[in-house]
Amino acid sequence: MAQFRLQGSKVLAVELTGDAVKAKNGSMVAYDGRMTFKKLTGGGEGLRGMVTRRLTGEQMTVMEVKGQGTCYFADRASDINLVSLHGDKLHVESSNLLCTDAGLRTGTTFTGLRGGASGNGLFTTTVEGTGQAAIMSDGEAVLLRVTSQYPLYVDPGAYIAHQGKLQQKLQSGVNFRTFLGEGSGESFQIRFEGEGLVYVQPSERNTIGGDL
Amino acid sequence: MPFREINAKMVEATVAPGQTMYSQRGAMLAYRGEVSFTPNIQGGQGGVMSMIGRRVANEATPLMTVEGNGTVMFGHGGHHIQVINLAGDTLYVEADRLLAFDGTLQQGTMFMGSQGGVMGMVRGQVTGQGLFTTTLKGHGAVAVMAHGGVIELPITPGADIRVDPQAYVAHHGDVRNRLSAAVGWREMVGRGSGEAFQLELSGTGAVYVQASEDKL
Repeated sequence: MAQFRLQGSKVLAVELTGDAVKAKNGSMVAYDGRMTFKKLTGGGEGLRGMVTRRLTGEQMTVMEVKGQGTCYFADRASDINLVSLHGDKLHVESSNLLCTDAGLRTGTTFTGLRGGASGNGLFTTTVEGTGQAAIMSDGEAVLLRVTSQYPLYVDPGAYIAHQGKLQQKLQSGVNFRTFLGEGSGESFQIRFEGEGLVYVQPSERNTIGGDL
Repeated sequence: MPFREINAKMVEATVAPGQTMYSQRGAMLAYRGEVSFTPNIQGGQGGVMSMIGRRVANEATPLMTVEGNGTVMFGHGGHHIQVINLAGDTLYVEADRLLAFDGTLQQGTMFMGSQGGVMGMVRGQVTGQGLFTTTLKGHGAVAVMAHGGVIELPITPGADIRVDPQAYVAHHGDVRNRLSAAVGWREMVGRGSGEAFQLELSGTGAVYVQASEDKL
């Protein structure tokens, strides 16, 4: 299995011994050894994946990197976080996904209203199986644990990924003040309940909710 | 209530019933517990008069009141955050750099022209920070945003500090500031060093300087 390691906080180094990883198109910054790069259409999920990704707008252009040696990945100086999956599922915005082990299955899932508020469309990408994945954040992300006693509320613009058995619900605090242009800027939150982990970045994407 | 620094760009605050804190609108990243965020039309405390004062002074960054029982994480735009603890002294900071602060602190605005006369006004213009600045006074914690990391430089009598006006973030204590200019004929012919203006701080306290000459 490919070995993922962080070189600083913004560069991902992957040791390959004849195996493969899937990475965001164009994210390779350097490599040593022997590597081949092949563009995968539709996130490498075959025809079905290609069609659903087109339909859902959760587009992801990925490449398959195969070879012997070390390959370095980075994207626009984003911070990188390593995620280890042991048979569980990671939900992540496709724009935040940098690299996954080729053994992990990727797919799309409907997020409901939450996606609309987070500025990322109604669908999100899932990564499932056993292996490592690397996700990106604007600034160093923190990993927050959710337990059944302690639900967590996250700003949709600061949310990047979550894993575990979590239910998510969009809650809104829109009231008459919002429409008078005197909103607190915190009109929408995603409520996470259950058992799992949520990745939060120290910066907010532009969302519809952020202006309300 | 104190802020707990999670990393360079995020802080966590504990909110308890009966305690109020203020934060810049939209700066909440995540929270646990029962916490409410209400827009603060007055832009802080002090009632309508101080609101008008802040509007006129153009120091009216939209704030929200944070109340309840839980923990809240703040961060904004990926900026670095510096936590400053005040023990009865006054902090001078631009309103748009305030991320969050204790509700017990007294908020006000100060006319920079009152320190250093005409040069004080020039200072405001040169630093691009206007003629007014926000003051916070009392006992409590303030989280301030900066571009790049922040260093704290102590100011003691006899040891003045000179700071690039663009890198200046905030200062506290019993400090006088004045702008010194070294504009010579070289600046006029476009051969200046680029360091024609400096902010001189003297007295007792500390100044916070960011590792960048960019505004937020």
